[in-house]
Amino acid sequence: MITSLWVLEVLVCFLMYAVLDGYDLGVGVAVLFERDGGRKRSMVESVAVGWDGNETWLVLGVISLWAGFPLAFGTILPHAYLPLVVVLLSLIVRGVSVELVSQSSSLTRRWTTAFGWASLLASFAQGFALGTLTSLGSMNLFCVLSGLTVTAAYLALGYAYTKRKSSGSMRKKAGRRGRIATAVMAALLIEVLFSISSTAAPLNLHSPARVSAFAVLLLFAVGGVVAALVTFTRDRRPSADTVPIGGLIVAVVSVLLALVVARYPVLLPPNLTVDAAVSPRNTMLFVLIGIGLLNMPLVLAYNVFAHRVFRGKLEGGDS
Amino acid sequence: MSLVGLSRWQFAITVMFHMAFPAITVGLSIFLCVIYGRYWRSGNPVHLQMFRFWRRIFAVGFAIGVVAGVVITFEMGLNWGGYAAKTGPIIGPIIGMEVVTAFAVEAGFIGVLLYGDGRVRQRTMFLATLMVSIGTILSSTWIIAANSWMQTPAGYRIVDGQYQPVDWLKVIFNPSFVWRWWHMLGGVLLSAAFVVAGIGAWYLRKGRAMAFARRSVSIGLGVAAIVIPLQIYLGDAVAGHELPLQPSKLAALEGNWAPGNTGWVLFDIPDQQAARNLAELNIPCFGSVVNHDLSCKTAPPGLSSFPAADRPNVAATFWGFRIMFFASLFMFGAAFWATVLRMRRRLWTARRFHRFLVWLSPVGIVAILGGWVTAEAGRQPWLVYGQLRTSDAVSALAPGEVWFSVIGFSVLYVVMFVAYLAYLVRSVRIGPERDHPSTEDDQPVLEPREAVAT
Repeated sequence: MITSLWVLEVLVCFLMYAVLDGYDLGVGVAVLFERDGGRKRSMVESVAVGWDGNETWLVLGVISLWAGFPLAFGTILPHAYLPLVVVLLSLIVRGVSVELVSQSSSLTRRWTTAFGWASLLASFAQGFALGTLTSLGSMNLFCVLSGLTVTAAYLALGYAYTKRKSSGSMRKKAGRRGRIATAVMAALLIEVLFSISSTAAPLNLHSPARVSAFAVLLLFAVGGVVAALVTFTRDRRPSADTVPIGGLIVAVVSVLLALVVARYPVLLPPNLTVDAAVSPRNTMLFVLIGIGLLNMPLVLAYNVFAHRVFRGKLEGGDS
Repeated sequence: MSLVGLSRWQFAITVMFHMAFPAITVGLSIFLCVIYGRYWRSGNPVHLQMFRFWRRIFAVGFAIGVVAGVVITFEMGLNWGGYAAKTGPIIGPIIGMEVVTAFAVEAGFIGVLLYGDGRVRQRTMFLATLMVSIGTILSSTWIIAANSWMQTPAGYRIVDGQYQPVDWLKVIFNPSFVWRWWHMLGGVLLSAAFVVAGIGAWYLRKGRAMAFARRSVSIGLGVAAIVIPLQIYLGDAVAGHELPLQPSKLAALEGNWAPGNTGWVLFDIPDQQAARNLAELNIPCFGSVVNHDLSCKTAPPGLSSFPAADRPNVAATFWGFRIMFFASLFMFGAAFWATVLRMRRRLWTARRFHRFLVWLSPVGIVAILGGWVTAEAGRQPWLVYGQLRTSDAVSALAPGEVWFSVIGFSVLYVVMFVAYLAYLVRSVRIGPERDHPSTEDDQPVLEPREAVAT
């Protein structure tokens, strides 16, 4: 019981991370496809107020994994050493360049470019690292595919966020490009689902319960993607800004959940399970009460606060 | 180089780079909170000017500290998988508490602190600065708790080679925690105080923004004058509470191989292999005095009574400690000199003293880094003192992988450091004049972020 609750906590952290840092990494990648300097800058600034809070979920997820499943933490991370180091290096460049751009340092243009490339590299390397864990540490085409899929998903989220935050031609453009990114993401995802069965650690769909949960979650994902595709280029109705990002969030979350369903309780293929890696009871009680029960709601509240203070449309860009 | 050696170098580089930033930003966040609080109460434009200028210095340093801190978290699992698996049940929850009670708080309110000025109510602004400074203090609290447990472990048992908590209160309030916490707090206050006083003194020398500069120098020196005597006492108390439990660290930081030296080694070039000092400068009797014995009879332990495999690196431990100690003497001297000048009403005309202050700006950061080198290098060859050897905790990585990350982090950190210095110099050159509320209208280019609406 305690173990499953903590698995849930870790899962919530990583899902929050995928969605929140997903959009802000995606905005970073989108900066690379934008030519206009003013728009680039307002895109960076739309990220500046929130990236720190979004990244909290990565740190919290990693620490929760360490505290709850120390054996897994010490085994999984060295497995994906190189891609994770690349993730860290690019997150550093990203964080620093965001602040340098928005504090109006010199060389703003170069830092904006650095921000874009670092976002791209971080997204790709995150997907690559996920792929490595499925491929049991070896690097192969599947890892590349996984990297591309994650990048496309983040980019789609980034455009959905930009559409929501901007107005005028910037909003239109974000809608058009967001639709393309969503379509690419969907195609890559289908490819991932087909090729995952031929990796070293195929999905476990051997019971009817697993199959039906897996299928229902994938249906949700399809629904989310379709909703985003349809509404991305609309601009009249009030829902035109919320449905694309909502649909994409549903899609990303359900795909990740589907993969978890097909893997549980294996943390690292082939046979490191949650029960084998779990911390002693005394530790689990501490983290469940101290971190999960008392503090997680507060962390969520801070996140909501940070996003609410700066809600509304961007002013810069154009009209 | 061996895998352990390489992994240790990587950790040393990444953790020292990280620490240089919280060394300033923890103290600065408290300073910002106090200054904004005074502005909120008084409405004095100079307070707003100070808040805005120092926030600029704070902002980028804070961001670098955060991202470089994330690296440390990952390294525990990436490079030190054995450590992660064995100490996870104890260290994991402590760092977890750091993330939820500090990291998340800072992250939630930093946006308002940096970008909310003029767009949210003053009360909200003050609340945000308060939360950020509470976050930075809590953050150092949990980190010191975790590190102190590694120095003086308590409240645990070992099951199948894994350290498991038995009594959380004893784990967190382990024998060295409370004293080290106060010592760390003193350290970050001092380093921020000297940065503030040093940059303020630069404007005094240039004759620019005098009201701003005087207040900055005055506050910086005032904090230093109060904290430095306490800090020297606290440093002694840390030694008194921690070193009896870590005799090999004490021997290494005093540079003694053979036992029985009642003197105090001022300068030392140690030879670790031959277990002796190639060159040393010994002050007779002073070692005994340092140990609170004026009769010249007490001698600290010597390192040769420990097996060679259990000895820390003397050069790193000795010089780390000496750098911290000598830096503290400089800080004490500056605070003392300033107090004398202030009493003689010559503080604002003493130009040589102003120049001295400018040069002294990084002294607190240097002291903190020296102190951490002493604490960490002196604990070797253990990760958990007397319990878990560093060589038993390292991940089984391919040497090429670790070379890649060592080079990657080193190159990137040099670039980031240069970028921050350039930013710092540029911000100081441009100066606080643009941050005064009265100049608000004529600064369309440099005022950050007007782009985001509320």
